[in-house]
Amino acid sequence: MKGNSLVTSTASIVGGLLIWEVISRFLINNALFLASPSQIVVAIYKLGLSGVLWRHIEISTYEFVLGYVIASALGVLLGLAMAESRTAKSILQPWVSGLYATPTIALGPLFLLWMGIGIWSKVLVVITLVVFPVALNTEVGLLTTSPRLIEMLRSFGASRKQIFFKLSLPSAAPFVLAGLKLGIGRGLIGVVVAELFGSRAGLGQLISQSADAFNMPNLFAAVIILATAGIVMTAGFSWLEKRLVPWTRD
Amino acid sequence: MNTPKLNVSGLVKKFGDLEVISNIGVTIGEGEFISIVGPSGCGKTTFLRIVAGLEESSGGEVRIDDTVVKGPGIDRGFVFQNDNLLPWRTVLDNALIGPEVSGGSDAAAKSRTMDLLKLVGLEGFEKYFPRQLSGGMRQRVNLARALAIDPKILLMDEPFAALDAQTREIMQTELIRIWEQGRKTVLFVTHQIDEAVFLSDRVLVFARRPGRIREIVEIDLPRPRNLSLKRTPEFAKYVDLIWGMIEEDVRHSVLVEKE
Repeated sequence: MKGNSLVTSTASIVGGLLIWEVISRFLINNALFLASPSQIVVAIYKLGLSGVLWRHIEISTYEFVLGYVIASALGVLLGLAMAESRTAKSILQPWVSGLYATPTIALGPLFLLWMGIGIWSKVLVVITLVVFPVALNTEVGLLTTSPRLIEMLRSFGASRKQIFFKLSLPSAAPFVLAGLKLGIGRGLIGVVVAELFGSRAGLGQLISQSADAFNMPNLFAAVIILATAGIVMTAGFSWLEKRLVPWTRD
Repeated sequence: MNTPKLNVSGLVKKFGDLEVISNIGVTIGEGEFISIVGPSGCGKTTFLRIVAGLEESSGGEVRIDDTVVKGPGIDRGFVFQNDNLLPWRTVLDNALIGPEVSGGSDAAAKSRTMDLLKLVGLEGFEKYFPRQLSGGMRQRVNLARALAIDPKILLMDEPFAALDAQTREIMQTELIRIWEQGRKTVLFVTHQIDEAVFLSDRVLVFARRPGRIREIVEIDLPRPRNLSLKRTPEFAKYVDLIWGMIEEDVRHSVLVEKE
């Protein structure tokens, strides 16, 4: 059964690529509008050979990792504060919930104005996109600690601190991981769009530069690399979840 | 009766104006197995939770070895109705939570807990996680966890209620076997009258509205006991006797809850 669905999925991908190839080669037949998969592969190969591609990937990766790590740490801290202190919650909650729902990516041009064309305007966009889902998930995770388990620990005379470290924190872990996983996709969007607003290098810059030159193979090359990065990181996170919080599977 | 272990006097519990426990007084001796039965809403679980220190009384006091109970402590081990195991801990680490919390988690505690797991029939399962165990096995961990702090009194809150009938019978004989090893003082809350008779030296029969002790029934059946005891006329007589005491209360509570 499982093997069957794998075969079907593979067939679906291969079939889709074939249809794409046929449409772009014979129906559209204009590299200014649509590049075929084979052209994209060639474009990636050429970009890689010239060394340009690595420069773009390096810059985008740097921006993503920096923003993502800062946002994760900040998000977990905000979530902790909101779960543990009523005052902190009243102060932070409206901002966190509000900004989570706001497409903060629209502030990209403003950050560019503030921080210049370098990497930090992009890092800031990534942070604003990733920090809020992480914070909210951390908070929810800590607040959903089972009262029954709290009582169990209390029956052994556990202190508040012990209950927090031995119970609340581990039971919040699946929620924190889910927030971090959500942050991957949002962070990647942040990097690309922020680079589109203005940058000297990066995959987003490669996209906008290729669009300006009507170089569809190069544009798709950047998109495919981004998609692959997203898929690989999300899959890696799912694997990590299975290892770190296996009890949530049932 | 041996030396008194647990002494309850004038115990009252109110939720607002509602008196759920009224003037309970009882003395329980060292090594006694005591069950508490009664209709739902008779406050038997509340009583147990007050003894555990998980809930405060509104009056009266609970003494263990002449020390007044003021909160939870490791002189009492609580066995919960739901196993309440931590899903990210192995069987051994779950059983060790008590010593760990009270700062006594050393090699000695570990080897003692290993022995306890063996005693409750979980040898070889130390590294398993709760999700890999059956309901009956999880309750064995629950019991081992309470015993791991070597409590003076074991408090058990309907620990077998969630198990199927066959598993429950097995667990009852297992509990007797384990209890025979150490002869801890046990307070066992249940709504199964036959379970109470089978396990206990004495049965406290509670009445409801407000919760109080209606009668204390001494179970004069020989030990060690096994399941065949349940088919004897003496056993049936005790069950009938206790059922007769609470029947009217149960009928009433069923009718009231229907309205």
